[in-house]
Amino acid sequence: MNWPHKDLIAIQDLTSEEIHTILDMSKSFKEISKRDIKKVPALRGKTVVLLFYEASTRTRLSFELAAKRLSADTMALSASGSSFAKGETIMDAALNIMAMSPDCIVIRYPYAGLPKKLAQELPCSIINAGDGTHEHPSQALLDMYSMQEHFGKLDGLHVAIVGDILHSRVARSNIYGLKKVGAHVTVVAPKTFLPVGVETWGVNIATAFDPVVSEADVIMMLRVQKERIHEQYFSGEREYAYFYGLNKKRVDKMKPDAIIMHPGPMNRGVEITHDAADGSRSIILNQVENGVAVRMTLLYLSLGGNVNVD
Amino acid sequence: MAEIPRGPKEIHSMLVRLTEELMKSISAWDNVAFIGVRNGGELIARGLVKLLEEKIAKQIPLGVLDIALYRDDLTRRKFYPEVRSTDIPFVIDHKDIILVDDVLYTGRSVRAAIDHIVDLGRPGRIYLLVLFDRGGRELPIQADFVGMKINLPDEQVIKLEASADKENIPGVIISEVKR
Repeated sequence: MNWPHKDLIAIQDLTSEEIHTILDMSKSFKEISKRDIKKVPALRGKTVVLLFYEASTRTRLSFELAAKRLSADTMALSASGSSFAKGETIMDAALNIMAMSPDCIVIRYPYAGLPKKLAQELPCSIINAGDGTHEHPSQALLDMYSMQEHFGKLDGLHVAIVGDILHSRVARSNIYGLKKVGAHVTVVAPKTFLPVGVETWGVNIATAFDPVVSEADVIMMLRVQKERIHEQYFSGEREYAYFYGLNKKRVDKMKPDAIIMHPGPMNRGVEITHDAADGSRSIILNQVENGVAVRMTLLYLSLGGNVNVD
Repeated sequence: MAEIPRGPKEIHSMLVRLTEELMKSISAWDNVAFIGVRNGGELIARGLVKLLEEKIAKQIPLGVLDIALYRDDLTRRKFYPEVRSTDIPFVIDHKDIILVDDVLYTGRSVRAAIDHIVDLGRPGRIYLLVLFDRGGRELPIQADFVGMKINLPDEQVIKLEASADKENIPGVIISEVKR
């Protein structure tokens, strides 16, 4: 197999075959995390820098574990403890890191476009761990992996993505990916949370949750970014929970084998209640488990072979 | 040197011979387990286990190893070895492992396989069984049981061809490889 990509910036850059390759391989990588010795020597001697300019627990830990389980050396750098706080520009920081010859930089940045810029400028592999409201490709891949694991297929699934579509890179990456593999997507949100141009995305758009709840195979809840309440996107947490929260009443209306997903972190009591998050339909913790396997695949594919030859 | 056996029938009689050899060398089978290296080794291991189970009327554990992540040329290759699952359905600790591969050549795959096995546990011992030994070793590794020693020019590879259902004995294909 020949993997043509040095970097992973966006789901939009991948073909459906490439997405399936990643998902298939992740099955093998998942088994490694179940062993007593959770480590294989595949990326011995490779260096992975985790550059997180935005808060993260799951994604950062997941990438770090993935790299370590493949025997790569990892270094994590966050905005607060770095010279970024002293006013160094991000390009200068990146060039300085590059001077220490890492093989891969995993980057999260609050604004869209930086990972792509780095991928063009730097010879090492760049993996986008979320850039502004652009994309979060590894999250979408682990979400698709988790759906496929549950249903055995992606083609024909109906996925409802509910909540703050406007600010969500997770929603965007999932929509691009799910469409490529033949799933149908419905976005559910109050109008203030729907981005301009959403009607061109090729998804169904709903402003009422209840009719969609009983139709979807997957209900993916997005985090309500509480810090935005003051920006008047919606009038209050309780009102939002009433119209768009996933609660026991709505869970009871779901299709018999439908599942609940959430990329985390959750605001319990706002977009999701305890019944929904901890109930038997929830695969939220499976998503986290699968995240390590999928990120192992991404690191292996980006670093494992000599992609620059030829 | 004799002609290289190609068809399932000839491979089958090689397996029968290897089975007899194993029965002669190994007296206690309670602690023995087979591990086949994907894909060729897995096919041979399945064939041998089937034959042995008929003789000793006992189940013999069988596992499969994928060594892609243990290769020493991973970052030097243009193409990625496809990663498939390792599946060892028994505890390796203290077991006498018969490690099975189809062809022994440089010895690098066996090195990778042994490294992989010891990451999964601490076996009592590991035997190496191969169907074909074509010489050309680059590491100090020898097999305990050999189906046949063969000579092949460097540019040729020998591969097992699985039959549609994995239970049946495979055939052999020899092909030229571009280097």
